Amino acid sequence: MTTWKTVFQPTRRGVVLGGAALLATPALLRAQSGPIKFGTLTPLTGVGGTYGPSMRDAAASVFTAVNEAGGLLGREIDLVTEDTQTNPEAAVRAVRKLIDVDNVSAVIGTWASSVTTACAPLCWENGVMLFTVSGADSITQLPHMGFIARTQPNSILQIQVAADFMIREGASGMAWIGPQTPFAQSSIDILAEKAGGAGIGMESLIYEADKSTYRSEVDTILRSNPDFIMLGGYAADSTVVLRDIWQAGYEGKIIGPAYAVNATVLGALPEDVTEGVFTWEGAPALGSAAYSNVQAALGVEDVDPYSAQTYDHANLAVLAAASAGDASGAAIKDALRTISQGDGDTVSDALTGLEALGGGGAVNYSGASGPCDFDAIGDITGTQFLFKQIAGGAAGDYERV
Amino acid sequence: MLDLLPQFLVNGIITGALLAVPAIGLTAIFAVLRFPNFAVASHATIGAFAGYGANVWMGLPAAPSLVFAFFVAGLFGLVSDEIALKPLRKHGALTTAIASIALTIVLENMVRFVFGNALRGYDLPLVRDVRFGDVRVNPQQIENMVLAVVIMAIVFALLKFTRMGKAMRAVADNPGLADLKGIDAVLVGRVVAFAGMGLVGIGGMLFGLGTSIDPLTGFRFILPIFAAAVVGGLGSVPGAVAGAMIVGIGEEMSALVLEPAYKSAVGFFAIVIVLTFRPRGLFGERAY
Repeated sequence: MTTWKTVFQPTRRGVVLGGAALLATPALLRAQSGPIKFGTLTPLTGVGGTYGPSMRDAAASVFTAVNEAGGLLGREIDLVTEDTQTNPEAAVRAVRKLIDVDNVSAVIGTWASSVTTACAPLCWENGVMLFTVSGADSITQLPHMGFIARTQPNSILQIQVAADFMIREGASGMAWIGPQTPFAQSSIDILAEKAGGAGIGMESLIYEADKSTYRSEVDTILRSNPDFIMLGGYAADSTVVLRDIWQAGYEGKIIGPAYAVNATVLGALPEDVTEGVFTWEGAPALGSAAYSNVQAALGVEDVDPYSAQTYDHANLAVLAAASAGDASGAAIKDALRTISQGDGDTVSDALTGLEALGGGGAVNYSGASGPCDFDAIGDITGTQFLFKQIAGGAAGDYERV
Repeated sequence: MLDLLPQFLVNGIITGALLAVPAIGLTAIFAVLRFPNFAVASHATIGAFAGYGANVWMGLPAAPSLVFAFFVAGLFGLVSDEIALKPLRKHGALTTAIASIALTIVLENMVRFVFGNALRGYDLPLVRDVRFGDVRVNPQQIENMVLAVVIMAIVFALLKFTRMGKAMRAVADNPGLADLKGIDAVLVGRVVAFAGMGLVGIGGMLFGLGTSIDPLTGFRFILPIFAAAVVGGLGSVPGAVAGAMIVGIGEEMSALVLEPAYKSAVGFFAIVIVLTFRPRGLFGERAY
């Protein structure tokens, strides 16, 4: 008897034939239907939670603008947002979801080096482009086949620049204190090399992150009587270390990365504790058109370096896909350097770039974080650094190198 | 390095005293409700933020702010236990413990939703350390330790001399017998959920007073708090104090022989050693 069930019941032969037909459909055709998927994978929670939301918003502003202007390659861009929780395990689950479920072609904004190191292999194995702001030099030395591009200067360069600064400022005994991170040991090695070259003593101590007090660690590092201490941690632990160093009666100089001694740290600590502390960071392209765009998108005067970078990531992904005529991860990877550097028209946002590319021209994207030129392994070149000194609870420009 | 030994010992005693307060809360909850409540992490955070509100927004000094931390964290402890954990207790300790992990994530994110991720500091005057010979100690640390000791003394007095304290110990020692004597185990359970989490909230704020707070504040202390309670004997209040001292002093003294990066290993090591040679903990599991 024929019932509705037997009519609509899929037969085994039907399923096999249907599946075969689907598999026979060119992958390109399937990929080109529907929206283009990009993912942000920023630290919305955890120690990087101070930056993650604005990093995501900066990238999203680019895709919104492109969608409003008609989309990319005639298709809408669909942005999927995930949270790394500043935790490699959580980040791996999130990037798996972005790759396996959402089918994104590019992942934007991994922040902590441990997170990027954990997520990167999944990206390159699946042909997904990864744009990151992590600094550990080991990241671009991974066998990523071009699928990693980072807009943050690597930690070797960062520490070298800061060590030179400490020596210029008259350090006679240097110390490094920070948590266990992928760049902790390399930071110590570089600082020790620079200190040795200048005939200066140097002590180091790696502590455990997420502790409520570092008094014993501070006692240990102060035994060598340093007069210039470099902090190597993130915001939460640097707050504790700065307080403990001050309470111990230390009167020398201190320098910390701007992401660690940031506005929230200054807000959480009394002014006496942070008075005179130096910070340094890869300087965003202040005054550039792209920087103004991010200021407007986020509605803030001071754009943090990471939001400036994710804004650039989004623009680079859009322009590379447009230049290649294909929004796959491999196409973005191959076309990245054709739109990020070279002799093309200098553009500072995706819309202007899309217009130029549409007219058959070439473009050279110059972004909010800097010129956005990449070397062969995906490291940024030509970055400037900005040193600041804290006075009265606020950071003021000190030196630009 | 041995010249730092007295300093590390002082640091350890101060850390241990602060750890003891939330460890007492955790162990009291285990003694009466018979499950390890992992939601201590979020309740420590809630206490820290409640104390922050009292201190910074209402302008109260540290001690009255601790009372505020106690009541708010206790209230959250009571309500969340009634809603999320109590209905699951009949399915066993493991089920309830897993639910408490889910609960702590929910509560932590509620704090994040309201306060954001930014670090916050209490409005307390910061002063330099005072030196006694080679040993330095901060007046704020001494105040925190005195507060912790006073709170512990109050808890011990309440357990020993009040009717409710005796009822709690009775339910912890033998729930069946306590029931026969007409003790209302449900009421005792509610009081313990309130007071236990209140103590955990005080612990969160005491730690925050020395540093700064964010939604992960409680999560950072969960391992040493558990280690203290397990080492002392889960369910034993004096054991929690002794365990806290062992873990606190052990963590600080470990810097003499271990890289500071392995500090947390001391907590795990203490748990493994104690569970291997004395599975019920140093003091067994008698409540008092």
